[in-house]
Amino acid sequence: MNRRHFIKQTALASSAVMASTVAGTALLSAQGIPEQSLLTILHTNDVHSRLDPFPMDGSRNQGLGGVAARSSLIQSIREENNPTLLLDAGDIFQGTPYFNLYKGEPEMKAMSKMGYDAVTMGNHDFDAGIENFANQLQHVSFPVVISNYDFASTPMEYNYKPYTIIQKGKQRIGILGVGIELEGLVPKNLYGNTVYKDPIVAANETAEILRQKKCDLIICLSHLGDKYSDNKVSDEILAKESRNIDLIIGGHTHRFFDQPRKYTNKDGGDILVNQMGWGGIQMGRLDYNFSSIKRKISPKAHTVVIMRKPNE
Amino acid sequence: MRILSIFYSGFILLLLACGTTQVPKQVSYLGYPVSPKIKADTALINLLQPYSMEVNRTMNNVIGFTPTTMTKRLPESGLGNFMADCMKEMATQKFGLPVDIAFMNQGGIRASINKGNITIGNVYELMPFDNLLVLQELKGSVIEALMNHIAADGGWPISKGSSFKIKNKQAVDIIINGKPLDRNATYITANSDYIAQGGSDAAMLKPFPFQNKGYLIRDALIEYIKQITASGKPVDAKIENRVTSSNNE
Repeated sequence: MNRRHFIKQTALASSAVMASTVAGTALLSAQGIPEQSLLTILHTNDVHSRLDPFPMDGSRNQGLGGVAARSSLIQSIREENNPTLLLDAGDIFQGTPYFNLYKGEPEMKAMSKMGYDAVTMGNHDFDAGIENFANQLQHVSFPVVISNYDFASTPMEYNYKPYTIIQKGKQRIGILGVGIELEGLVPKNLYGNTVYKDPIVAANETAEILRQKKCDLIICLSHLGDKYSDNKVSDEILAKESRNIDLIIGGHTHRFFDQPRKYTNKDGGDILVNQMGWGGIQMGRLDYNFSSIKRKISPKAHTVVIMRKPNE
Repeated sequence: MRILSIFYSGFILLLLACGTTQVPKQVSYLGYPVSPKIKADTALINLLQPYSMEVNRTMNNVIGFTPTTMTKRLPESGLGNFMADCMKEMATQKFGLPVDIAFMNQGGIRASINKGNITIGNVYELMPFDNLLVLQELKGSVIEALMNHIAADGGWPISKGSSFKIKNKQAVDIIINGKPLDRNATYITANSDYIAQGGSDAAMLKPFPFQNKGYLIRDALIEYIKQITASGKPVDAKIENRVTSSNNE
């Protein structure tokens, strides 16, 4: 991975030299205008097998959602030509008869078709058993990232990654995942030998690896839930206890955030948490603006400004 | 050439050594409604088609019949009574334990069932949530606290044989399974996992463990309706003064 990164960087550097834009960059820096670049992150959570829009039955959500409309929306955003990431924070399964009948096959195929880049697992993804989830992964083209479930000697053992690194445009993005405690929430026979580990410890350890691998942005896909009235571990608690993570894409609590929540992490840096309800009723978008700075003066803690994107 | 290439590599290494990194500075956010106004992607429609044909066939499956339209109502409704009775009966069958009382949270009833045939699809509309049917052993005093919460909330469905009156937003004259509530007795209660975990502000239930067999309330409803139909009866549910309001609130 490091070597590939080196080659990619070298190639970028060479092409930069060839195109003689080095002078231009230097000029920009000299004028104090930092070089900017953009990354678009699209995200969903708790879609719960909602492949078709909600039925037209007079209910609040009638006509909303559905993979066919979501796919068009994703395509139109991709046509803006920013590097785009598409992520999901779990509970892909359970909630419509599609799941009862097909155990997640059309959900997985639809997400692959839409071009999801990475997902994490929610508690309901165990609902037809861990072996079923592992089997359904034959239909996907994206990794399942989770760093706090020990899947040794389970059907998931060779079917997940603790993290993934994706190069999108200029950015090298590290993506990890954390899952909720399964005991008491999911029947034991469904999750089998899966061992839940402390998500804060696992997330920080994994984020440190991603930092060492020189990721520009580190994203944690989380199915912990945004926050609770007691001290149960949540995105809020993780955010405050975290290091190196820039963004938590959350789920489980089905909350529609009006805007991302900003917390101060263990190093005094900014970390954002966002969540997009459930059922694919909404899709979240975060446009990250990056400044290019010298690696050796790069601060350990990032500070970001949040604003609402104007609706074109 | 060789010298030139060493020079060139050296130059690149120099560039890398004082290499740059991308630092996030600014984030703009937006939530897109996935609305029916967006044109559907035909590739996805085609992908779904073989699955949705079969799903629709299943959803249109008739599993029962009701002579009256069943709608949710406060403080008590036939529909709510039907659901609470289903939970008590199916929990008894599934867990093999004598269930004293079942609770159905009012907010968990999501649709009416119109008179006529009942389809699997109707049950999905009635209970779209993936709530599990769970058992909890609760002291009478905890049930009283739950009943008070239910009374303050305007009344939730409870199973046959149990009743209470709402007076000044409190539960009075509580009867559990035919007998007055004993605060020191232990009762076996059927609930959704959502409520058993303190959902719908039922925080008093949260400290108590529950038994869970991964059995969805929706599946319990489907099985219960099928059992009624198999016995040659229609699905019928009546108001039986299980939850009454003794003053105007």
